[in-house]
Amino acid sequence: MATSEEQPPTTQPFTLEDPLDLIRLSLDERIYVKLRNNRELRGRLHAYDQHLNMILGDVEEVRTQIEVDEETMEEIFKTQKRNFPMLYVRGDGIILMSPPEKPTY
Amino acid sequence: MPLFHTFFKTLVGKEMTIELKNNLLIHGTLISVDQFLNIKLDKISVPDPDKYPQFLSIKNCFVRGSVIRYIHLPPSEVDPTSLQEATRKEAMQSKMQQ
Amino acid sequence: MSKKQTPSDFLKQITGKPVLVKLNSGADYRGILMCLDGYMNIALEQTEEYMNGELRNKYGDTLIRGNNVLYISTQKKKDVVLFE
Repeated sequence: MATSEEQPPTTQPFTLEDPLDLIRLSLDERIYVKLRNNRELRGRLHAYDQHLNMILGDVEEVRTQIEVDEETMEEIFKTQKRNFPMLYVRGDGIILMSPPEKPTY
Repeated sequence: MPLFHTFFKTLVGKEMTIELKNNLLIHGTLISVDQFLNIKLDKISVPDPDKYPQFLSIKNCFVRGSVIRYIHLPPSEVDPTSLQEATRKEAMQSKMQQ
Repeated sequence: MSKKQTPSDFLKQITGKPVLVKLNSGADYRGILMCLDGYMNIALEQTEEYMNGELRNKYGDTLIRGNNVLYISTQKKKDVVLFE
């Protein structure tokens, strides 16, 4: 491992070097994934690659549709849920992923 | 590198459902997969054939990888432990190349 | 100090700082920039998600897939005062 000598060590105990480390550290964890078209997934991460193609287990998909009440102009969120025991997700539809809580480094 | 290509090759002959980005679901048996994750399915069926009558006469099809949203996999054919191992290995390899 | 600054110099300077990431969809993400790569994949911590200026969600850490990113900006406003 090459260490940069120009910069003093940061006060943080751990700094990520590569954004994809965040997903690597989430393997076998339940993660949250936000997709295009108002879709969200929660499931256990079994595999991923550099495109963020993924395989998730015990997945719940939530689709949210926003309808605006014409009279009150209130936004009504309507959700539809589906479950999948094992799901391949193509990476190009992914907007973001997040580990369930702070991973323990 | 080709983790998912390798993975899908292990599923040849198994049944699965491909969900396309236009919301169409195609159920069938995996014949083959290439490096782009294009997929050939055999013995295909769609859940609502009345809506898609063109599928009544089609027995197999080729799906371009880029139009796929999800693939609903048969869980009994997937080993999470070996997938995670392969993923860690590939992540290590791509780190070395950087 | 610096005369000419390249985009990647800018990106190096702002790691560890509060940033605003705007996506093509119009959504805004505010958080501390942990790191990013050449594809503009971005790791943020203490992330807040805004839609139409409204706070919609909070996440501990997030990875934003680079193809969605419109821009990254240093976050001047807000009450996040961590590096003063």
